[in-house]
This record gives sequence, structure tokens and C-alpha cells, in this order.
Amino acid sequence: MAKAPEQFETIAEMEAEARPGREGEPHGDDSLMGRFDRWDLRRFTGWDAVKAVALTTFLLLIFAGGSVHKAADELKPGLGRDIVKAVAGPAGWISDQLPLADTRRDLTSWLSPDQQLTGQGFRAAPGGAGRPTTQVPTTPQPLDRLLVTGDSLSTPLDIEIARKLADQGASVEVTRDPHLATGISNTGLVDWGQLSSSQAANDDPDAVVLFIGANEGYPMPGPNGQQVSCCGPAWEAIFQSRVGQMMDNYLQGGVQRIYWLTVPTQRDPARKPIADDVNQAVRAAAAERGAAVRVVDLIPTFTPGDRYRDSIDIDGKQTIVRESDGIHLNEDGSSVAADLVLQAVDRDFDY
Amino acid sequence: MLFPTIEFAIFFPIVLALSWALMPRQQIWKPFIVVASYVFYAAADPRFCLLLAAITLVSQLAVVAIHRTEDERLRKWFTAGGVVFDLGILAVFKYYGFFVSDVSDVLDSIHLGMPLPLVTIALPIGVSFFSFQAVTYVVDVKRRQTEPASLLDAAIYLSFFPHLVAGPIVRASEFLPQLKKPRDPDRVAVGAGLTLIALGLIKKVMIADYLAREVVDKVFAVPQAYSAPDAILAAYAYAAQIFCDFSGYTDMAIGLALLMGFVFPQNFNSPYRATGFRDFWRRWHMTLSRFLRDYLYIPLGGNRKGRVRTYINLMLTMALGGLWHGAAWNFVAWGAYQGTGLSAEHAINGRLGRIFPGWLRWFVTFNLIVVGWILFRSTDLSLFGDYMSALVRSGPATLYSVPVVGAILLVIGLQLLPERPMEGIELRLGRLRPLLLGAALAVVVLIVGATVPSQGVPPFIYFRF
Repeated sequence: MAKAPEQFETIAEMEAEARPGREGEPHGDDSLMGRFDRWDLRRFTGWDAVKAVALTTFLLLIFAGGSVHKAADELKPGLGRDIVKAVAGPAGWISDQLPLADTRRDLTSWLSPDQQLTGQGFRAAPGGAGRPTTQVPTTPQPLDRLLVTGDSLSTPLDIEIARKLADQGASVEVTRDPHLATGISNTGLVDWGQLSSSQAANDDPDAVVLFIGANEGYPMPGPNGQQVSCCGPAWEAIFQSRVGQMMDNYLQGGVQRIYWLTVPTQRDPARKPIADDVNQAVRAAAAERGAAVRVVDLIPTFTPGDRYRDSIDIDGKQTIVRESDGIHLNEDGSSVAADLVLQAVDRDFDY
Repeated sequence: MLFPTIEFAIFFPIVLALSWALMPRQQIWKPFIVVASYVFYAAADPRFCLLLAAITLVSQLAVVAIHRTEDERLRKWFTAGGVVFDLGILAVFKYYGFFVSDVSDVLDSIHLGMPLPLVTIALPIGVSFFSFQAVTYVVDVKRRQTEPASLLDAAIYLSFFPHLVAGPIVRASEFLPQLKKPRDPDRVAVGAGLTLIALGLIKKVMIADYLAREVVDKVFAVPQAYSAPDAILAAYAYAAQIFCDFSGYTDMAIGLALLMGFVFPQNFNSPYRATGFRDFWRRWHMTLSRFLRDYLYIPLGGNRKGRVRTYINLMLTMALGGLWHGAAWNFVAWGAYQGTGLSAEHAINGRLGRIFPGWLRWFVTFNLIVVGWILFRSTDLSLFGDYMSALVRSGPATLYSVPVVGAILLVIGLQLLPERPMEGIELRLGRLRPLLLGAALAVVVLIVGATVPSQGVPPFIYFRF
């Protein structure tokens, strides 16, 4: 006769009893499907489960309903994002009516591993803000600290650059700071206007490598406060202004050189107008700042003729250089991009 | 759709409520849960739903054909057809790129190369798990261990969202009987379910991701830049990270299933308590190890064909098990390393236990497992070489901090504690009132959410597999 739960010394003993035996086999059946029965835990109803989960959801709504909007910004455009956005409106409204979100922030902010970087880091209007005249050294300078940053495009490029420098025996401290799912045109997740200033101040790099552009194309406020949609000259001008402000933030923060990578053509033809505007804006902003900003153009190497391809010739062998999403570079591709970056860095720095 | 996301926080309460509302009407509940699971899966990429549907349909066809004939030869052919299709899908989507880039290089060098198009193929999330589950369905019916289910039940079994993307690998014989009648709405392990979900969140976000961010990712990215103290720390940190990452996911999956009235098999049982390789594989990813045992090692002959064949079978099983984790040589090498450990243990045949005390066997096993994790985490074999060099390079310790060392000791130390206190805590938590636990879960989510950096929550390690 089976023992009652309280007759067992340990749960392990109960589980051993419950285990379907296979005598003689070196490895008994580990499924332990009956373990929750033997724990004597099934004493609630399905509706208790529903009520408990509903209470969890309700408490999250009143304490952190505002976060839903931010989460929606992280999602790829589509039905899922539309649904989350639809929930975000009322969730944010409910949360705003109560003082609980502030209480939650006050109580938990000390746990946050980094500062909040959402907000108004960019000036709204393109142009007119005056650019700093950057003095660029004419002879190679020592390179002690290199920051590699951007969106998801910047990794594993950052790792490849760090490895190549380490393999060369260079004593360069490489800071890797990717911010996945973020974009210059979308300040909801991370405001790159603020982040660039913060990186220059906190990391104190001699040079910055930037690879960003996988999540662009969001409407941005224009000079008169109206929303300007992608793509076209007006959107490109605002984007160029933002890129220029980021460049200025780095340069004013003590960075000597910026290496900004263009976005190679992506598989999805619908993304081409966005990438074209992004790249054009980067080139124009860099040209305004002279030798302080070098554009590392990846298009001739990865997508010559602006035509997407999965593989390129590396050392006489066709090699896949893109991830399956048709956007990112894989490890082999990032290694090639890292070589191009380091060729540019070699001209300006000793390490 | 991932568990710790806003989308899932919207999806799950709705599905849970509808599931219990529809449960008494099985003819509605069953299509509903299939649709809900496909919606869950479509959030990653709707196109992959076709793949899941194809595996379901072909496996079901094979199972029905096997069941309808008594001719053993035909049963074998139908089984082979189903298994080849299920594993073929896995091979094409997971290993094509590896084959055309790495394996074809080897074939080229011996003039056996073949021209294959160089294209990238997206890896459907969870394909490694649901294709293996489909194999268990086909083979279990062939072995007469399971009766064929209806197409709808088979679709639920293969697509049920709590286990769809990263296991545990639930056998058909474990899950299908749970579909034979509605789950009892008066006997739901709500407390255990909510406790496991909270525990899984803490393990994933507060421990695994924290250790990855502070130590593991830095050192494994550029091991050349670090010396022995940091490399040693990162190796132990990775052991703690991968346990918390994967067992955290499993805890959430089991907890979610419990709330819906279903029970999944256990997947982890204090693996760092192991005193040998065989003991480790009885405790680590238990549903994979029993799959490898029952559907690969034993069909290969197991230990019934002499000592040499046993070692070959162990090596082959573990090397293929390693390759299951990812299409790269380091995973094959990791599998072979595990196979070597198991073979060596088999050769010694229990004599270790008589010669060495338990604590010494634990110490040696644990450190050998950690060395294996270095191989597992290294993205290629040259990186593994760089890491091993870092382990003997003198230099300063730069990554040590109280929270980092504390987290590692906590993860490993808790597994070494006597089982009774831990079980007592789980039992007490599991018996609390559901509403109290629901409120506690909200507090846990808010605290865990506050520790998420601006880069967001990284995907679970096993999602790539």
C-alpha cells in the first residue's frame, strides 16, 4: 500500500517511491511526473490560479503601467506591437492617475544598473545650433580607451575589434556598450542625445566607433513641432541634425576621433529608403566636422552596387557574412568590418 | 514571444482565464489551446507556424500508419519516414549553414566537395525541442508504449506553449494521457506554479543576466585581455549563469503549465551536487539526457555489445548531443568531452567510490564540468585555447566584487545544502494562499524589472539551441 505523504522523511524519498521503476536499468526514469501529487499541493482551483494571475497583472498595471509604452517601442512593427500599444494607452493612463508608480520608482531606483536615458537629449530643430571647431591632431596619438557602441549592429563587431586589438598585443581598453533595439530616431527606449554625452563623460574614450541604424525610420519632431515621417529630405535633415549633435557631444566630451560605420544594404527592399537616408545623413554630418569624424563605408565591401548578398569573397573563398535576418553582420562579417575600422584607426592612433 | 515580456504578460492572463472557462468543453478547449499556442509561436515569426504544422501532420500520418499495420517491416519503414522527416527539418534549418561552411571545407580537402548554395537560413525558435518531441511520439507508438492520439491532441502535444520553445522535452507518453480528460479544476498546484514562476524570474534576470553582464561576457569576449584570477572567476560565473538561465526558464515553463493544470517532467535536480559525470547527466537537463539514452544510446546497442562498443556508443551519443546544442565544432568537442568523462567512469566501474571520499569526487567532478562549460561557451576552438591560456596567465583580479562572488556561491552553495531545508521552503511557499502569492509575484516582477539594464533582457541561452 502506498505511504501517505507525511510518512516520508524527504521529498526525494517520496519521488523515488513515485518513480515508475525499471529494474535493472542503469538510469531510472527521471520524469517524476507525480511529484506534485505527492507534495500534496493540489488544493486550489483553476479559478484561484486565474484570480492570482489577475491580481499580479492588476498590481503591475497600477505600479508600472507606464512601462508598457516603452515595451511596445522595443517591438518590431506588426500586430503584436499594435496590441501592446493598444494596451499601453489605458495602462499608462491608470498608472498616471495614481501616485504608486512614483513610489515604485523611489523604492526600486537604487537597483537599476544604469541611469535612465530616455527624454529630450536632442534639440528639436535641424541646423542652426553652431558646431564646435574641433582641433584634430596631425600626428598619430596614443590610443588608451576605445568605445564601441551603437544598436544591435555594433555586436559582435565590438568583440571582433577587442579581440583583434588584444591579438596585436595592444594595451587598448575597449569598452563595449551595445544598446539593442534602440535608434536615433526613437528616443523612447534610449535617447542617444543623452547617451552620447553620458558615454563621453563616463567612459572617457579617446575614440568612438559607432555602428547604428537597424531600428531607424521613426517619425521625428520637426522645427515647428510637427511630426516628420520617414523617408525624404525633411526626415533626413532632422536625422542629420541628431547625428551631428551626437558627434558634437562626443567631441566636446574629449573624444578625438569618431569612426561611424554606414549601414550595408539590407535584404528587405522596404528598408532601403531608410538605410539610404541614414547613410546620407551620416556622411553629411561627418563632412561638416572634417577629419574628426571618419565614415567607414561598408557598402562597397558588403553590398557593392547597393545589391544585397549573403556572402562575399574573403581570402578567395565565398563566405557567409550576414545573419539570417538579412540585416546584421555575422561573426565573419563583423571580423571584416573590424578590419576596416582598425585600418582607419591605424591612420590616427598609435597603440 | 518570451516569458519575461510585456506581450506575454498580456497574453497569459487572457489564455489562462479562457482555458479554465473552456476546460469542461473539451471540443472547444482543444482547438482554443492549439490556436493560442500558434499565436504564441507566431509572435517570433508567423512563417515558422507552417513548419510546426508540417511536423505535426507528418508525425501524425506516420503514427497512424504504424498503428494500422502489424507488419514489423512496414512499421519500421513508417517509423523511419517520420523520424527522418522530423530530424530532416532540424537538419536543414539548424545545420545547413554549418554544413556548407565548415563540413564542406573538410569534404573539399579530400575531394568530396559538392557545390551547395551559400545562403543563410533562419533558425526557427524551438525547432530542436519540438522536433525531438515529435520523434518520441513516432518512436513510442512504434514501440507500443503510446497509443496514437487524435490529430488535435497531437497538435496540442507538440505546440503547447509552455514547453514549445525551450522544453522541457516532454514525452508523448507523459503528455498525451493528460489530454484524455479535462484537467481537474479543483486540484491545481497554484502555489507551486506561482512560486516556480517567481523563482525562474529571479534566477534568469537577477542572477544569470547579472553575472553575464558583470563578468562572463567581458572575459569570454576577449580572454586574451584577462589573467588567471578573472578567467577563473568567469568560468565559475558561467557555470552559475547557465544553470540559472536554463533552469530559470524551465521553472517558469513548469510553473505556467501547473497553473493550467498540466505537469511537466523535472529537468534539473541540483546538478552541481553531482559526484561523477553519470550523476551529473541524471541531474542536468534530465529530459534531454533521457531522450539521448532512450532514443539514441540504447538503440545503438547501449552497453550490451561489449566494452569497446559501449565507449563508442557513449562518445557518439554525447557528441551528437553536443551538436544538438548548436551547429559549431565547440559543441561537438564539448559533447565528446562529456562522452570521454562518461567512458572513463564506465571503465573505472564504480571503483572511484571505494577509493576516494565523496567530497573529493564532488570537487573533481564539479571542476571538470566547469572546464566543459568553458568549451561550451567558447564560440570557436581558438577562443577556447585563448581562454585556457588566460587561466594560467598571471595578473591582477579586476572583476571581483561582493555581489558577483556572492551570487556564484549562492547558486552553487544552495545545491550542496541538504535537501530537506530547501524542500521545506518550497513546500511552505507552495501552500500559501494563491492571492498572497499573486501579490508576492507582482512584487518580485517589480523588483526584478528594476534590475533590467537599458539594453533589455537578453534571450535565454537555450533559445539558440
